[in-house]
Amino acid sequence: MRKLNEYNKSRELFARASKVIPSGIYGHQGPAEGCYVPVEAFPLFSERAEGSYFWDVDGNRFIDYMCAYGPNILGYNDPDVDRAAAEQRKKGDCITSPSYKMIEFAELLVDTVATADWAFFAKNGNDVTTMAVMVSRAYTHRKKVVFFKGYYHGISPWTQKIDYAGVIEEDVCNNIYTEWNDFEKLEQIFADNKGQIAAVIAQPYMHGNFKDNELPAKDFWAKVRKLCTDNDTVLIVDDVRAGFRLDLKGSDHYFGFEADLICFCKALANGYNVSALCGKQFLKNSVSDLSYTGSYWLSAVPFAAGIACITKMRELDLPKILNEKGEKLKNGLLDAAKKNGFDLRITGAPSLFYLRLADDNSLITHQRWIAECVKRGVFFTSHHNHFINYALSDGDIAETVAVADEAFKAIKGL
Amino acid sequence: MNKDNRTLAFINLYAILGTVPKLLELDAEAAALCKGKKVSIGFKVKGGPSGTLAFNDGKCSFYSGLKGAQVVLPFSSPEKFNALIDGEYTPIPSKGFTKISFLLKSFTKITDILTKYLRAGKKDLENEEFFTKSTLLMFNVIAGAIAQIANEDRVGQASASYIEDGVIKMAIGNDAAIALEAKGHKLTVLDRVPEDFRAYMVFDNMKLARQLFDGEVNSVAEVGVGNIRIGGFISMIDNVNRILGRVALYLA
Repeated sequence: MRKLNEYNKSRELFARASKVIPSGIYGHQGPAEGCYVPVEAFPLFSERAEGSYFWDVDGNRFIDYMCAYGPNILGYNDPDVDRAAAEQRKKGDCITSPSYKMIEFAELLVDTVATADWAFFAKNGNDVTTMAVMVSRAYTHRKKVVFFKGYYHGISPWTQKIDYAGVIEEDVCNNIYTEWNDFEKLEQIFADNKGQIAAVIAQPYMHGNFKDNELPAKDFWAKVRKLCTDNDTVLIVDDVRAGFRLDLKGSDHYFGFEADLICFCKALANGYNVSALCGKQFLKNSVSDLSYTGSYWLSAVPFAAGIACITKMRELDLPKILNEKGEKLKNGLLDAAKKNGFDLRITGAPSLFYLRLADDNSLITHQRWIAECVKRGVFFTSHHNHFINYALSDGDIAETVAVADEAFKAIKGL
Repeated sequence: MNKDNRTLAFINLYAILGTVPKLLELDAEAAALCKGKKVSIGFKVKGGPSGTLAFNDGKCSFYSGLKGAQVVLPFSSPEKFNALIDGEYTPIPSKGFTKISFLLKSFTKITDILTKYLRAGKKDLENEEFFTKSTLLMFNVIAGAIAQIANEDRVGQASASYIEDGVIKMAIGNDAAIALEAKGHKLTVLDRVPEDFRAYMVFDNMKLARQLFDGEVNSVAEVGVGNIRIGGFISMIDNVNRILGRVALYLA
């Protein structure tokens, strides 16, 4: 039996944080939005990270399946990426005239990503999803945008819903929401809004929270692509989450179609902060027309890191490796669940797997199991898809399966 | 988005007047006012809700519609009914003139007691018994208001459209529990919490619940420190919380 983690320092720090930071840790990495159930089972602050692990402030080590919610794709502190970043840092980072690294990075993306004729850089996924929608409106002179329910495209008001705090009706009144994989309904929306739809924005498959992830139905993307083309509507793929874990050429390429615009962030530079919007030639002038920039958007260190990251991912043919690792983990977890009499469902791509115990429809059993795993040093979440990174070893996978088995026994009271 | 009078009328009827039965359970003075009496009062709001409070020997029940109502108070609009709740309008019964003395005396006193608990002053709340009753009644009102906002308010309906079928348990420690049942994106308050609830939100204690109701603490922050426990199908809780955000708009 493994020793269970304790989180005394995390708690102390959270109390301190709560005095000066709204809700202590805000957003997806906080205990509320992160669905830490119960909160006592989870670490709150980290001390350091290396490879496929992070250590919390209490000294507990975790095999990390969230990878900072995606950015860690090669392993924390990857030596090749860090070396490239360090060399660039010596030369300069945030400079009045941008570094030529920007051109090299754009050229590499154009050479790597199937649909890319150009690249535009920013900082976060939300910067480029917002820009993609603006470009679609600038190009089409239309207002409406179609979303698939269960989406996540960032945190700007247009990405949120009418009932979210701080969002007003005018922020979302041109949003049309429809069901994932329901092409007929989408077709009807186009018919009902003839000549008004600027864009369809979608993740490459439905990795919504709290539910099994859903791959595109057969021919779904081909039909959506044609519908957009026939109606002069811009097709935006938000590849912020899945980007480079399915296909280095873009997740649209993986599913056999071409987006007009594709958004990247997370895995783009292995944790260095940069995002990119890539797109087709016909939209390039519309991008140039936008007034859209930021203080740190042309910093050179993340560009250097991004070049090193993409170069290494290409050399490794990384998505293949990540999916093999994910498949190995998936099989181990399924065996452990079966052996213990639990109905574990694993959906989505193996490199981005989503876990759910289907033994009850409330997720309460699932949350208990996840908590027991975390207390034993395997960082899973109960509501969100997970991420595989290159540094994850066979030994890590074996340890994860052993922890999962012990956690199943714990919730059975054995 | 602004509040609308029709939704407010539903809240005033189902959540505010709908809390009278709970008041009689908790407060002996209120219960004594209808001891030995059997009177049912119906509220009929044109373009809005209708419901009946049935008093029977110190107890009371509330139900939708006017069936069996001995006294019927008609309101020509939601605004008129809301004015009654604010004490700015006196309706004339369309039926049940013989029960008018109960209406004018006992019922008015009962609603005055309810107002005292729901709009409690700081000094009153220093009394522990008053504090507990007041908080429990507020809990009842808030649960009722969540359901009405989910069902009637345009923004609340948007939140409810994302709530899957099932029961959400809301509790204050081991002191009180209410359930909201979601079915077809409509919410109903259940008096008893079934064992197979699908999501839960439990406030650690009465004081915390009160602070939350009064807007003195934030639910996201309190989840972080473990003073509010959430679990199960948490997206149901997320959406209930968004509706809860509108309760303050209506009941402020």
